[in-house]
This record gives sequence, C-alpha cells and structure tokens, in this order.
Amino acid sequence: MNDQVTISPTTLSIHLAINGRDHALEIEPRVTLLDALRDRLHLTGTKKGCDQGQCGACTVHVDGERVLACLTLAAQVEGREITTIEGLADQDGTLNAVQAAFLEQDAFQCGYCTPGQIMSAVACIREGHAGSDEEIREYMAGNLCRCGAYPNIVAAVRQAARELRS
Amino acid sequence: MTVHDMKHAASDSARLEAVGGRLSRVDGPAKITGAAKYAFEQQLEGLTHAVLVGATIAAGKVSAIDSRAAETAPGVLAVLTPDTIMELKGASDWLGNPPSQPTYNPLAREVTYSGQHIAAVVAETFEQAVAAAALVKVWYDETPAIVDLSDGKAGDGIPIDAMTKEWGDAQAAFAAAPVRICAAYNTPREFQAAMEPHGLIARWEGDELTIWEPSQWLDGMARTYAEWFGVPFENVRLVSPYIGGGFGSKALALAHSAVAAAAAKMLGRPVKLVLNRPQNFTSYGGRAATRQTVAIGADKNGRIQSIVHRGVNETAVDGMWVEPLGSVTSIMYATPNFSSRQNVVRVNTVVPGAKRAPGENPSAFGIECAIDELAHELGLDPLEMRLINYAEQDPHAKKAWSTRQLREAFAAGAEAFGWAKRSAAPRSMRDGHQLIGWGMAAGTYPVRRAHGEAVVKILADGSVVVESSSIDMGQGTYTILAQTAAETLGVAVERVSVKLGDSHFARAGVTGGSRLAGVMTGAVYKAAGQALDELIGLALSDPRSPFQKLQANTLQVRDGRIASPRGEGPELSVAEFMAAVGREQIEAKGDTLPASTTAEERYANYTTIAKSIPHTEGDYSRHSWCAHFVEVRVDEDFGTVRVSRVVSALDSGRLYNPKLAESQWKGGIIMGIGQALLEEGIVDRRHGRIVNGNFADYMLPTNADIPDIQTISVGIPDPHSSALGGKGVGELAIVGIAPAIANAVFHATGKRVRDLPITLEKLI
Repeated sequence: MNDQVTISPTTLSIHLAINGRDHALEIEPRVTLLDALRDRLHLTGTKKGCDQGQCGACTVHVDGERVLACLTLAAQVEGREITTIEGLADQDGTLNAVQAAFLEQDAFQCGYCTPGQIMSAVACIREGHAGSDEEIREYMAGNLCRCGAYPNIVAAVRQAARELRS
Repeated sequence: MTVHDMKHAASDSARLEAVGGRLSRVDGPAKITGAAKYAFEQQLEGLTHAVLVGATIAAGKVSAIDSRAAETAPGVLAVLTPDTIMELKGASDWLGNPPSQPTYNPLAREVTYSGQHIAAVVAETFEQAVAAAALVKVWYDETPAIVDLSDGKAGDGIPIDAMTKEWGDAQAAFAAAPVRICAAYNTPREFQAAMEPHGLIARWEGDELTIWEPSQWLDGMARTYAEWFGVPFENVRLVSPYIGGGFGSKALALAHSAVAAAAAKMLGRPVKLVLNRPQNFTSYGGRAATRQTVAIGADKNGRIQSIVHRGVNETAVDGMWVEPLGSVTSIMYATPNFSSRQNVVRVNTVVPGAKRAPGENPSAFGIECAIDELAHELGLDPLEMRLINYAEQDPHAKKAWSTRQLREAFAAGAEAFGWAKRSAAPRSMRDGHQLIGWGMAAGTYPVRRAHGEAVVKILADGSVVVESSSIDMGQGTYTILAQTAAETLGVAVERVSVKLGDSHFARAGVTGGSRLAGVMTGAVYKAAGQALDELIGLALSDPRSPFQKLQANTLQVRDGRIASPRGEGPELSVAEFMAAVGREQIEAKGDTLPASTTAEERYANYTTIAKSIPHTEGDYSRHSWCAHFVEVRVDEDFGTVRVSRVVSALDSGRLYNPKLAESQWKGGIIMGIGQALLEEGIVDRRHGRIVNGNFADYMLPTNADIPDIQTISVGIPDPHSSALGGKGVGELAIVGIAPAIANAVFHATGKRVRDLPITLEKLI
C-alpha cells in the first residue's frame, strides 16, 4: 500500500475484433479483456469466476487458441481475432457440435463455468487432445466445475470430437 | 421417415416430456450460448462499482481509518466507513426471531474475524474502485484471537441441549458390550466455492429497491432488505434469473449486500458490488470444522448394543451456527441404547453456514467410518455389518419409514460394483505399486417439506406460463416445472414457459435442504390442475363454447387439443377454443397451504423457515437413502490417493427427471471426493486468516480427479413425502462419500485416517 501512487487517468483508444465484429473502446490500459467484454461490451457470456487465472470460467479464443481473459489485458489483443461463447454458433443459430453435445449429455448444471468449459472443449478437440477419456480429463482439467458435471463433460467432448472427425 | 416412425417419435417425445422423462434442460440453450444473463450481469444506466476493504486482523478494534487518498483518487464517488455509512435497522433472522439490536452496521468497528468488511469504495469504474480501495489506510487495536477449534483458548464450548438425543442407558450398555470401538473423527472448515461469486446490483427508485443478486431464497432475502431499510416488503424486488451455484451459501442477505444497497441509497445511483474470490472465503460461512467421537458397543454377532456420540462444531464469536452432528448417527442403525450430545465452540471466524447436507454430511463421516471399524474388529464384511443392524423403523422417532429402499440400494450397488469379489484383509489387493482398496458407506438426508405457490396461465395462443419466485441454480427447476405443467395441462413442453427468480412472482420459501422440487412440483401441479378445471368448466358451460351442446360431464386436453374423452363432437386446439370464447387468458394460483392460512402465516411461511414441516410429522419418518461403493488406488511409496471407481445406488423416491437427478447425484459424489481428499480451509495461527482462500490453494476436484461414476436409482414413489412422490435429490449423494473413501483407504493401506482430508502425509 502506497499513498504516493498516482493513478493515471490515461485512456487508450483500441479496436477489438470479437466474433467477427469490430468494437471501438476507450479504456484504461489496466482493463482486462474479461472486464472489457463484460462491463464495456456487455458480452457477459464469458464468466468471471476467480479473476486470478485459477478457474477457467473466462476462457476465450485468441487467434484460435484458448486464453484466460482475466489474465489478458484488453490492449494486448488489439489486432487479434477474439472468439467468445456468443460467437461460437453459426450465424443462423446452428449450435457448434460441442454446444449441442453439452446440452444432450447434460454437461452442466448451474451453467456458470459452462461457456469456459465449451471454449476449452472446442480448443481441446482442435488441439488433438480428445483422443481418449483420459486425455480429455487431463486437457479439460483447467476448467473447474463446482456442480460436478465432469463425467458428463467428458462424455460431451468425446461425442463432439467423434462428430467433428466424421 | 415413414408415418409409423413419426408416430413412434411422437410417443417417445411424450415420454421424454412427461414428469419422469429424461428431457434436456429447458434453460440449457441459454446457458450454452452465453445468452443467460445472471443476476449481476444486468446492464444499468449510471451503474457504479463498489469494492470492499477487509480487516487484516481477526480480533480487535478499528482505531482509525484514513480514507483521504482514496477519496481523491480518480473516479471515486464515496468511501464508506463504519462512521460514514447510513444507519440501517436491525433485521429479524431466518427463523423470524426479532433482531437483537435495533440498528445494524454492515461495516465493523469491532472486528471478530479476518476479512470482515470495514470500508467500501464506490467509483465510476471497477478498476478505479479496486485501485482506490488499496489506498484506504486502517489502524487497529489488536486483541488475541481464537483461531480454530484446536486453539488453547477455545475451551469446551457451549452445550446445545436441543441436539441431545438419548434412549436406553448408552454408557452402561457400552461398558458392558463384549466388542467395543471408540474413535475421534474430524472434518475441517470447508467452503461451498460456487463458481459464480457472491455479489449484487442494488438500485433505488424513490423508496423502492431492486436487487439483482444470486439467491436461493428471494422472499427471505427481500424481507431482510425491507427490514434493514424500513420499507414495506412489497417495495423490495429481488431478481435472480440464474444462479451460478449456491450449495447453501446464497440463501441470506449478507453484510456485503447491505453495504451495496446502502451505498446505492446514499449515492442515488445503482451500485454493483461483487466479492472477489478471496473475499468469497471470508464474507460468508462455509461448513464449520467439526470434531466427533463415536463409541459403539456390539455383541459377538455384530449386533449393536449401544452408540455413544459426542460432537463439537465451531461457530463465530458473534453468531451461532449448529451443524447437527448426531443426525445420521441417531437413525442409520438399530440400537437399544443411544446417546448423542453436542457443543459449539466460539472462534474468530465469520459465522459458519450451510454447505451441502449440513449436519448429515459430517455426521455420516463419523458413524459410517465407525461402523466400518466395528466390522473390521468383528471380522465381518462391512455390508453384512450394515444388514445385521438394519433399522426397520426410525430408531429415534420410533416411527415407520415412509419408504426406505436402503436394502435395495445395498444390493444393487454391491451387484454393480462387484463387491462380492472383495478380498477382506487390508492391503490384500494391489496392481503393481498401487494398493487397491474397496470401501462402502451409506448415506441419508431427511425429506424437508414446506409450502409454495405458483401461478399458471393459459394464454390466448394456447401457450402456458408458469410463474414462481423459486429459483434454478442448476437443479433443473425450470425443466421439471415445465414438465409438470405440460403433463397436467396436456400440452407440449415447448408451449410452456417457466419464469422464476423474481420476488414479485408467486411466493416460495428457501431453496435448500433438497425441498424445492417436491414443494414446487406440488404447487404447479395444483395450480395447473385449477387452470385446467377452469378451462374445461368454461368449455362445458360458456354459451360461445362449441362443446357446450355436447352435454358432456368432462373433457380432456391432449397434445394441446380439447376433445371429449370418447372422441365425439368437436376437437379444438386450446388457442382455437380461447378465440371461440373470447378469452385472453386463464389464470390460476395454486399453493399447498391449508385454505384457512392467514396472510401473516403465509408471509411467515415464505420469508422465514419457521414453518417447515418436520420430516417426522404424523405417522412416518421420511428420508432419502443411498449406498456408495468406492475403489481407491493408493501409491504405496508416495501415499497419493486416487478414486478410480464409484458406484452409488440411491433412493430419492420418484425422480421427476432422471437425467437431471443423476447429474445432481454425481455432483454430490464429486463434491464428496473433494471433501475426502482435497478440501481444507487452512488458518494461519498468528493472524487467524484463511491462507488458502483462492481456487489454486483451496483445492477443488478437477476433471482429472474424477473417475467414471455409476448411479443407480432404487427409489419408489413416496406418497408421504411429496405430492408427486419424490424425495430429496441434491444433498443426498454427498452424504457417505467421504467415509466410503476413508474406508476404502483403510482397506487399501491398513491405515485409518479419521481426519479429513486424507492427504498423503497422513498415509506415509
């Protein structure tokens, strides 16, 4: 704690490409991608569980790779392609195979960790880490679920991986 | 697709949609697309952000607060301290007892636990509030704290006479028994750790308050806000459309809730306050740490002669929490002599609270480990031991069980697990360097009952709306109430829209103790039945009705179409009929209360828990039951324990939706695995601080920790427990998991660990 610290009111003008759309933002450099999404752009599908990079609820894709939005500053991802849960289904509303499998397998209860689980699962399959239940468990272990939907999440990822392969 | 296939599909879908069908969650599409807006995700004009400052001592006084730097920081609108926050009135407690003090200050001058809120900063943005909160300087006069149950200053505590259960002469019978075991069992402070943090948005418009807050009890929390601010109950609207997990933690309006609502009133602007993750470990109570001793005396055939049980749980310096430790001990096994007593010990902690199966969970850890120890002492199979002492009636209440499919659960679970192939001796099963252990335990949870009301509307287009101030935190309320209304009214599920989570809807009591499904399916069944009666009455009697000249006694509605049961006369869709008689809607309000209930009694019923119906009311004792069978693998060198297989057979009565019930059961089992192997709030002994209050250090089970889990339903409809025959689901499955794992670890290693969690240093 240091009361000599002065807090700079400087703001940045940045553009973020989210789900194929351009968003202009005037934000302080310290604003995380997670808070930019939720508080500024009202894309609240990405969840804040811990804000410390420990739970995975805020998982989004940056250039196709899963990242934790709470440990990423918004200004860091200007010019990168960001995908959130809101951008996963097709334009016509057709669900991504992972979303459909989560519904069918009842891979969630309260739904709060679910967007992060689904974003992780899409990446997990794309990374080639859904070859066995064992592998799915390991590569989905960064996304906590307190309702305990894990066995159903494994079933959903297994099912979606199979569908996406065929 | 052939016509035959289509018919087939239609009847499949009818089965799926009916009560008891495996319909997928109706709120699922919103949750998997990010469209579901949780309570504090609402976007409001002029929203401000509040961040709390917590005490860094566990006991003492706040002697001074310097908030000047924070007040002048960019964007800051206010710094609230114990001296500057508006005065609130005291509110009655959840039982409806009047407040002990006339006023209430949610920011503390007298600190009784580390992390207690002592100031709050409100700013234009979240980042500004976080930064300014770090500038608030606090001075304390610190006094010694009692950090936990093992603190030398803690003492023996306060006897809770209401917890005493005794029959026969337990001490003498124990002393005289030929076979005796006596051991102590401990559980640590544990946390609910819902993924959605606690928090809220508060907005005042004149003397009307709207609160968007995740809530397991809208009407109870609305009452608290109304009392704090001295406004009529009707002036408070609590909105909680989805709840990101509660597990017992989200049923009460808490100090941080009061701070946000007071700040909103003082500033005249809406305030959002969300606890950060570490604050979620100190701002409300998890499961109290517990200590139990269980002494069992038996004859040489394994028949129990006496059980002597003593329990202690921690509570707060300035608040009371009793975790009923004798609840399972007193009913699981038949015994002619029994004694259970309990004390609570005050320590410097936030008041402990309800976490999934409060009481039953630690109670079962004691008795279900002890019974395993007794079986080992006698050389009996643990399953046989339980059957020898099977309680044919409630040993405490001396009443018949309403239903008790526990024998069936033992049989089905053992069969599916392959229990008969178990090698009895500890350390007798292995796979390379892994010691394999098979353990089992039973669990139970009482059927808590209450009353609820629901509104069912049939609209002009034939669609149906169900409204209730009850909530869905993942148990499936949206889905099972849609199924109940659809089946009762004879319409397709997709024509039913269920609206929950708004305290201005028809009232409901607390969502806790696994009571909601039974209460609310009953209320919706009744309201939908009344709406159907009105629809049919109108069809038979309204001069504009095409059915009027049929002179029929009754009509039926199937697949959304009205017709006579014998198929004669006209057939109209509900929408066509509503148009024919010129009605916009038919509305019915159903509740499960006796007709003579007064308005005051209704208010008390929904806003306190004082009117809960005892599970032993009348002739029966009502409980859910389960049997868990667990395989563990323990690394012989490192003492690491992995659960490799779980089979659980459960009696929750009739299941309203087995797909969702199985998910809840598995969730309970998984939380139980965390309790057994991972979870423990660690208190720093110098400062009385929770040092692992985050998701990296307070370890929750991850996907990689969880094996395949098989659940088997052995329940039968229980007409004494609920209108549609269900018993409790949500809390049952966690009860008995930790002892099943501890017993399996003993079987694997020969070591009894009676102190949760079972971590490697206790095994090597």
